Amino acid sequence: MSTTVLGTRTGTRRIPSRRVSRLTDLAARWGFVTPAAILLIATLAYPIGYTLYISFAAINLGTFSPDEWVGWDNYLTVFEDDRFWDSLWVTFVYLVFALPLQMFLGFLSAFLINADWKGRGVVRAAFIIPMVIAPVIAGGIWRMLLDPLWGIANYLLGIVGLGPIEWLADPFWAMFTIILIDTWRWTPFITLIASAALLSLPRDVFEAAAIDGANWWTTLWRVAMPLLVPVIAATFVVRWLGAVKMFDIALAATHGGPGRATSVVNLFIYEEAFRSLKFAESAAMSLIVLVITMVLTAIFLRGTRMLEERN
Amino acid sequence: MSTTAARRRPSAYRRRNAFLRQLRIWSGVATCVLFLLPIAWMVLTSLKQQRDIFTTPPTLFFTPTLETYINYLFNYDLPARMLNTVIVAGGASFISIVVGSMAGYALARIKLRGATTIGVIILLSRGVPPIALAVPMFLVARAMGLLDHHITLILAYCTFLIPYVMWLMRGFFKALPDELEEAAKIDGCSRFGAFFRIIVPISLPGLLSTLIFSIILAWEELLFALVLTNRAASTVPVVISGIAGDTVNGANWGALTAVGTMTVIPVVIFALLVQKWLIQGLADGATKG
Repeated sequence: MSTTVLGTRTGTRRIPSRRVSRLTDLAARWGFVTPAAILLIATLAYPIGYTLYISFAAINLGTFSPDEWVGWDNYLTVFEDDRFWDSLWVTFVYLVFALPLQMFLGFLSAFLINADWKGRGVVRAAFIIPMVIAPVIAGGIWRMLLDPLWGIANYLLGIVGLGPIEWLADPFWAMFTIILIDTWRWTPFITLIASAALLSLPRDVFEAAAIDGANWWTTLWRVAMPLLVPVIAATFVVRWLGAVKMFDIALAATHGGPGRATSVVNLFIYEEAFRSLKFAESAAMSLIVLVITMVLTAIFLRGTRMLEERN
Repeated sequence: MSTTAARRRPSAYRRRNAFLRQLRIWSGVATCVLFLLPIAWMVLTSLKQQRDIFTTPPTLFFTPTLETYINYLFNYDLPARMLNTVIVAGGASFISIVVGSMAGYALARIKLRGATTIGVIILLSRGVPPIALAVPMFLVARAMGLLDHHITLILAYCTFLIPYVMWLMRGFFKALPDELEEAAKIDGCSRFGAFFRIIVPISLPGLLSTLIFSIILAWEELLFALVLTNRAASTVPVVISGIAGDTVNGANWGALTAVGTMTVIPVVIFALLVQKWLIQGLADGATKG
């Protein structure tokens, strides 16, 4: 009874203004996205468009504005610049070693700190601390620890009869150092994600595996892994998105040196733009990096989807 | 049956298990200590006098002093830089959480044409290298006289914080039960009313942890801060990179560690106070995204 009354009432009120109310609803629906869209168009899309524009221009250093259309010249210059390709290679090496290492150590230490005892909460909280140290501070501290003369790292190595290692002066060790610092800074982040993920695994599945007599290796690969794949994939994507922008650790710890051995592409473009004032070439380079990053991110996301759907 | 079987297992097996448990616990503790050592060394060095810093071998025993702190607290305009960092990180995070969570809500729960496409674009935009934005932002801000202003840096930080918030909150909102809006509609709420009166209150933990991460991300950002500010609006990471990269005066470890410690302490306290939401946020970010 009451529903029919309600129905007719709203019905009579709505009929004349159905179109209006549909429009207000449409406006309300898009109203949620509009502020974000405006801000992102202004601060993200517009600058990228501007980068595209100046990558085809010459910048007048008197006015700091583009004043001449030069076509593909900037891109040709960049393509012939070995330093740019070197910096891409450096970034590649860093990513290939740092990301798997951090994923592995992160999940391993998560397993260790998840052991059920009364100190677990404290250990977990302690893992937060390295995670909130600004990367630029991390780079600075580690430069101090690894100093060839006064640093504690070489002193400790000396006690056990190793070294001294030229951490920052040797190209190989400098890259090692960058990966080390980055791993120190970011492993706790993965540890905390992994720790939560491991705790949320259903217990009965493992009990069932134990009753069936599965050894730990089988349990790890056949039971835990399939359950963890979505989390591993998602964590990898998040870490990839961060690592591909790495700049501050390299700036603070090695400043890209020795030579350009640790000059990751972001640092290299930064130096080209703001030290050498080659804005147009930098724009061309950053667009190339943008395209590479986008393609790889899309591939990783696709892979994540597929892994999730397979389960 | 099975319980009696377990109880009858040889004690060697049980002893091995207990040993493995202890091993796991103490390896966990050791890993944790290993990660904290560099920070401990930073704090220790910051309390040393110049002559105790440069010793071979590095010393653990010295008379602690606050000399370096007092020297450098005002040398680098630290209070002003910290205030700048708070303004910029707070402003950018606040704008991003409001704007980003609204948009994330729309993508998760409102039928919008092209929502999936927008979602993919947002996620991809998290991969945009900041340097691709820093160059044009510098040129445009310079032309408009906006260099070294808080608002410029706030807007620059929105470029990575809004997509970040949108993505995380989209995951949170998707996981909520479907009936919430229907109930709100029956109670006579508009779409905005439903969002602010029902969705936001029950998503508060998620919003809070996303906000915390946004603040931390903005707090430690370096590239935009280096490019878009030089003095009036410059932030703490800029100061640190200045000290760490000072090749003229050599390694000023006293300054580095003292300034480092001073700027790390507030963040660490903040992070430990909100650790519950921080850990929860990390967990949800990985599983709900």
